Amino acid sequence: MRKVYLFILVTSLLLVFSCSMLVQGQAKFNDVTITAFCDAGHNARPFEWYADEFAKAGIKVNVVTAPFANVYEKLKSEFIAGTGAYDLIVLFPMYLGEFAGMGYLKPLDEYAKKYDPRLDDIAEGFLKLYDYYGGKLYTLPYDGDVLSLYFRKDLFNDETEKSNFKKMYNKELASPETWDEVLDVAKFFTRKSGETLAGKVLDSDFYGFAFLAQRGGFAYAWWLAEFASRGGKYFDKDMNPMINTEEGVIALQRLVDILPYCPPDVLSYGYDELTNALILGRTAMCLQWPCNWKKGNDPAQSKIVGNLGVTHVPGVMKDGKLTYRAPMPCGRTLAVAKDSKNPEAAYYVAKLLSDDFSLADVSTPETGLDPFRKSHFNNPAAFSAFGPEKEAKEYLAAIANNLTYGFPDLSLPGTAQYLDVLEVYLGKAYTKELSPKEALDATAKEWNSITNSLGKANQIKIYNELLVGWKEVGLID
Amino acid sequence: MKEISTNVLIGRNSFAKRITLPSIIILVVTVVGPLGFLLYASFFDWSLTVPAPPRFAWFYNFVLVFKDTRFWNAFRNTSALMIAGIITQSILGLIIAFLLNRKFRFKKLAITILALPIMVTPVVLGFNWRIIFHEHYGPLNYIIRLLGGAGSSWIADPKLALFSIFLVDTWQWTPFVTLILLAGLQSIPHQVYEATDVDGATGWQTFWRITLPLLRPMFVLVILFRIIWIFKIFDPVYILTGGGPGITTETLSLYTYISWVKYWKVGYTSALALVQLVIMNIIAMIFVRKVMQRRRA
Repeated sequence: MRKVYLFILVTSLLLVFSCSMLVQGQAKFNDVTITAFCDAGHNARPFEWYADEFAKAGIKVNVVTAPFANVYEKLKSEFIAGTGAYDLIVLFPMYLGEFAGMGYLKPLDEYAKKYDPRLDDIAEGFLKLYDYYGGKLYTLPYDGDVLSLYFRKDLFNDETEKSNFKKMYNKELASPETWDEVLDVAKFFTRKSGETLAGKVLDSDFYGFAFLAQRGGFAYAWWLAEFASRGGKYFDKDMNPMINTEEGVIALQRLVDILPYCPPDVLSYGYDELTNALILGRTAMCLQWPCNWKKGNDPAQSKIVGNLGVTHVPGVMKDGKLTYRAPMPCGRTLAVAKDSKNPEAAYYVAKLLSDDFSLADVSTPETGLDPFRKSHFNNPAAFSAFGPEKEAKEYLAAIANNLTYGFPDLSLPGTAQYLDVLEVYLGKAYTKELSPKEALDATAKEWNSITNSLGKANQIKIYNELLVGWKEVGLID
Repeated sequence: MKEISTNVLIGRNSFAKRITLPSIIILVVTVVGPLGFLLYASFFDWSLTVPAPPRFAWFYNFVLVFKDTRFWNAFRNTSALMIAGIITQSILGLIIAFLLNRKFRFKKLAITILALPIMVTPVVLGFNWRIIFHEHYGPLNYIIRLLGGAGSSWIADPKLALFSIFLVDTWQWTPFVTLILLAGLQSIPHQVYEATDVDGATGWQTFWRITLPLLRPMFVLVILFRIIWIFKIFDPVYILTGGGPGITTETLSLYTYISWVKYWKVGYTSALALVQLVIMNIIAMIFVRKVMQRRRA
């Protein structure tokens, strides 16, 4: 009898085991091929890394890439022509309003119910501002870009510098909390070759601050940092430009005032130049994207390993309270094209990249992807390749905080045009061709004509859909 | 006899028509077709940013072009590059051509090296010069500082950025001018110079009265090419400055590109392109006509 029981037990176990193997081995999709589009370079790597994982789900992913600067025109051309060339798209959120508003993208709510992307794990600022449009889920995050303030800890902690700063400004030397302090600290640290900095004689000029000013590289975001912190908005609800308000003029005047304390070639600075200015030891601080910290702690690239501090963007004091808003230029999200023949498979790949594999992707030096999930921010050990866990914790806390108080890119039909015009006039103010007020007035005038040429009623409609998310994160009343 | 010859002529004519027809079709499809579309599109208020259908707008886009301060800024920048570039490259090209027209060792090697900048891919060229112009790490400022100078922000300083593009253009295209003028110099028969020697002409008189007039066809060719190319200059501007700081280095081609791929203004950009085409043709025609008049005189 015992043998019979044993036989039944073993047979049952074998049956359960084989059934579970069958279930596991069964692919979710039946040899589906999808085409994904991503900007070229290291951020497209995860598509190759996880090809086997996608295959296990029955999906083959062909990846098409285009240079970063040509992503918009490439996508827009395909959408206009209605080719259905791409199923899954790595999208810059600044085009969400335009692409979702014009019906190029598929809402993902239905798929999200089927395959949970754990939306509650995503930083709220990013989720509401960049993944939803008009109350519907259109994208899943892939790269959590946000600006933070990076500074040289070794300089800020140097006793001589601290004492000199106190003598000069009658306050402690610390990472600046406000834009007024940024100007003071930038001025303080700007030194000529031959002068002493933190006990060392400088062999070249040193500067207090640097910012990104090159047109076409999200230069507007560095102006946005103070503008948004002061409560500035792109437009009012009727699409009247709000950039030439007092908030905008003060923010632009600040950058004009800070120019003498920046490297002389700062007006040609794009992403690489700005990063290098800090990590190669030419400036004391700058506002940058999160990958700056990873680069700054890579001995192959940096001269300041272990000395890079990161904190929230500077803000302004309002009624005795510090208020700041961190611009979120660029960023990447995953969207499914409306014309996709396999939208569910495309969504599933997006879900895997945005959730299942994302921690590994944002914590490796082999991509430029940055954290955006609470599970990323709560996992400093994963970032240990870049420094001690304590520093990783500080870094993640700063990024999480800045994302919570994030300020989104403009995202409307014609965004590229609005922002290009803005950057043109910011440039005119930097070169003193126009005063900040004149530059922003001229921008507002051109923004009005862009709005009118694109159809004001339609622009108002799309803008107000975007404001739904803005309201939820407290950006507007 | 008369009847036969007419028939033959008619026959030849129709044969001629038949064999030229494919070329005419290809020309119409590849040249006239796109230009026709450009002309057609220029009469429409047509933006691809929004789904609204194109609206016939008569000459509205052309009016917008001439009222557009950014167009005039780009026109000024392009004209400055063209005038400075053609004068400098012609003078430098002529001097180098004279030097190369002598007999010396390694002459072939010198000509080969001289021709290299023309062959460099524009993108590579742009990035190389971006490094050369780098304010802190660039070799140009390094040399200037070694010589006691302060160095400059070549592509970030609004006063220097356009000049830097002119430098790159001159570096790349002076060899082209040199090679064409060198070919011109080598085609002048040496008997002409022997005759001037016999007549007792000075070196300056020979240069001014003989060499330069005989080089005129080469100058016409080279200047015409340079007018067309500089009018279309794009790569070094796009890579070095992106039109900045502000719009201090934005050229017509770059502005047209931005107007199309960033703004998606089909109608306006078509008008912009047509205006440029007309301007370029007028400049070229005036130049060629003047030169030909002087030649006839």
